[in-house]
Amino acid sequence: MIEFRGNYFDGQTSRSYTVTVKLAGQSLSIRGEGLKDIVVPLVDCEITPALGQTTRSILLPGGARCDTDEFKSVAVLERLLGLNPGMRIVNLLESHWQLVAVCFVGLILCTWLFISHGIPVIAKKAAAAIPPKVTEKISLHTLEFLDKNYLAPTKLSENRARELEETFQMLVAGKGKEFDFRLEFREGKIIGANAFALPSGLILMTDELVDMSESDAELIGILYHEITHVEKRHGMRSVFQNAGVFLLVSALAGDIASITSVASTLPTVLAQTGYSRNFEREADEAAGLYMMDKGWGTKPLQDILLRLTKRGANITGMSLISTHPETDERVHNLKLLED
Amino acid sequence: MEVYCKTCQKVLGKIADEKIPHNVKKYVTCKICKEKILLSRKVETLAPVEGIKERKKREVATIKAPATPKQTKTLSASRKTSDRPKGRTFRPQFSGTAGEYFRIWIVNTFLTIVTLGIYAAWAKVRTRRYFYAHTKLAGHPFDYLANPVAILKGNLIMGGGLALYSTSDFFYPSMKIFIGIALAIIFPFLIYKSLRFYAHNSSFRNIRFHFRGGLKESYFNYLLIPLLIPLTFGLITPYWAYKRKGYFFNNFAYGKTGSNFAGRIAPFYRIHAVAAVLIILTLVAALSLFFGLGAGSIAALVAKLGSINSAGPGGKIGQAMLIGAIFSYLTIMLLFTIVQQYVFVRLTNYCWHHSRLGKVMFKSDIQVRKLVWIQMTNILAIICSLGLMAPWAKIRRARYILDNLAVEAYCNLDEFTADVAEDESALGDAATDFFDFEIGL
Repeated sequence: MIEFRGNYFDGQTSRSYTVTVKLAGQSLSIRGEGLKDIVVPLVDCEITPALGQTTRSILLPGGARCDTDEFKSVAVLERLLGLNPGMRIVNLLESHWQLVAVCFVGLILCTWLFISHGIPVIAKKAAAAIPPKVTEKISLHTLEFLDKNYLAPTKLSENRARELEETFQMLVAGKGKEFDFRLEFREGKIIGANAFALPSGLILMTDELVDMSESDAELIGILYHEITHVEKRHGMRSVFQNAGVFLLVSALAGDIASITSVASTLPTVLAQTGYSRNFEREADEAAGLYMMDKGWGTKPLQDILLRLTKRGANITGMSLISTHPETDERVHNLKLLED
Repeated sequence: MEVYCKTCQKVLGKIADEKIPHNVKKYVTCKICKEKILLSRKVETLAPVEGIKERKKREVATIKAPATPKQTKTLSASRKTSDRPKGRTFRPQFSGTAGEYFRIWIVNTFLTIVTLGIYAAWAKVRTRRYFYAHTKLAGHPFDYLANPVAILKGNLIMGGGLALYSTSDFFYPSMKIFIGIALAIIFPFLIYKSLRFYAHNSSFRNIRFHFRGGLKESYFNYLLIPLLIPLTFGLITPYWAYKRKGYFFNNFAYGKTGSNFAGRIAPFYRIHAVAAVLIILTLVAALSLFFGLGAGSIAALVAKLGSINSAGPGGKIGQAMLIGAIFSYLTIMLLFTIVQQYVFVRLTNYCWHHSRLGKVMFKSDIQVRKLVWIQMTNILAIICSLGLMAPWAKIRRARYILDNLAVEAYCNLDEFTADVAEDESALGDAATDFFDFEIGL
């Protein structure tokens, strides 16, 4: 026999009636002072899902409702009607510290799995699905942007440029036709000695980098590194990965702070640096293997990386963010490759 | 006394107090609905029954001086005819606890991640319901009735729009301006929809709230005035705040009873002027700290210079500047939090004080000092706990704000009647939530 006290509201006025609710057979009877007796079939009722120690409401047909704090009786009615099956599980999780702890561990595990496996895999598939026309357009926009803001036409002699282009064509001769591999030169100006790979297969190299190199083997190492970026679609993949991390962090931190705040950008930046390091490692490895295949060893690439770091630190003056450990690690990895 | 039938909401007639017996309970039956009405000499009969139960020591049932000219008239009238109910103060009681909310929060976050964001709609409803249902006024809780499926739809549309925006931004950067303009044009509409959704899904004693503000007013407040801000060198900003607050406090309704905002513009200018002075002081303090610390460290460095061999002085000066920068950043953050909380507290107190819902008035006595303390310690706790203290912080803040809100009813809380309205779409709600737009409560 289920019987409990509650407050009845007819939905027309804000008046509250203290009532006794009784389950009699298949219907609920509601009695209270100043109220005509109400009998409603149980199946026509709905019950708000349980949520902590908050008052629960039985929603009666016609817009009336009955509030009560007698959770046990309401739970019996809820089970009887088979209402809110999903929310009953959620409430079960929420009401036990042990289960909450399991959820917390699950949360950390899921976040880690997403970052280490989920997002990279999805990003890889998404990047592969982009039609070549689109990547071409993106690359064109990026090139326009770089030319407008940072780069100037090359001052390299035509002979030297042609020479390097021929070497480059040899490097990409065996590659598939999905990319339009091209090599172009620019004066780096503020950017200094550097090389970029655009998703379409266009590779930009600055005059400063060519001037800085002590042998063609060094430049070939750099070029192969950039070709690998194109081949493995690292550019588009990192765009998707960054978007994925952004979504993940905003889902996690939605309640902690707004998306724009420093607190939530920090983990985003950390995850993104992790991704780009992985890509660099992959490209270095491919370049190193190619050079070893040619019988040069990885030394030329190591040399130019170290020289770039030295110069870079002088030119940019960003001594706060040290780039040395990263280069050291890269050089170390290249050395390991030879063993 | 006036014989009043609560069920029919009608005054049936008058009986002279002398005719009512002292010690015997005497009833009159309403002719229309047959309800029995207790006769008594005291006026308190009409006052809400719940008030007696819920009254605490601090709740004094005195009538405060009315805030608005309109109110003065009705109140002075009600004082003359003593058969009207006296005002009774109710304080909202917040019973949410950090532990309980922490568990809900963890489960919400876990399920949102596992379901790839689909559960976010349910999580939102559960969070809002938690805070609503733990807030009781005169013994009865508020409720949040939004359908999670509606919110999910809103989220999906919002997500689709966002994806479209970022891809178009990617492929056609020149389109950015047009998309920005389009966004600015639909934004007031989204705010309007969101306020309607929010109010429509809030209820108390099974009567829904409503938002009656017009779409035109939303365009005036959220498109026209923002455009004028740069033209007036920001001098219009307090007016903007006044219009936005007024848009909410003048247009919400509980059932059929609409609200009324009698705030004036001068206090908004005063509050913003204080805020502006505080901001200028902040910047001065931060700059002097930056240079003061920087200079101080350089002086210390010069004194020690003889003993330094390895590191060049340049690096040390850089370090000193860095320390100065960090300190001034912290000062700025600290003082901006104070300014932000100051404006929030003063405007909230002022707006509640000058709002009326039929015969119900409001009082908010939040103190700047206390809320600043709560906010600072909250931020510190959240940072130190890597976010895990966020639920505790949220509960703590809500509790303080609600504890200092009071409702003064010059009528029976049983008297409000429901209004009919169609369900609202959740698109505006999803959008304003995404843009982190503060609705103004």
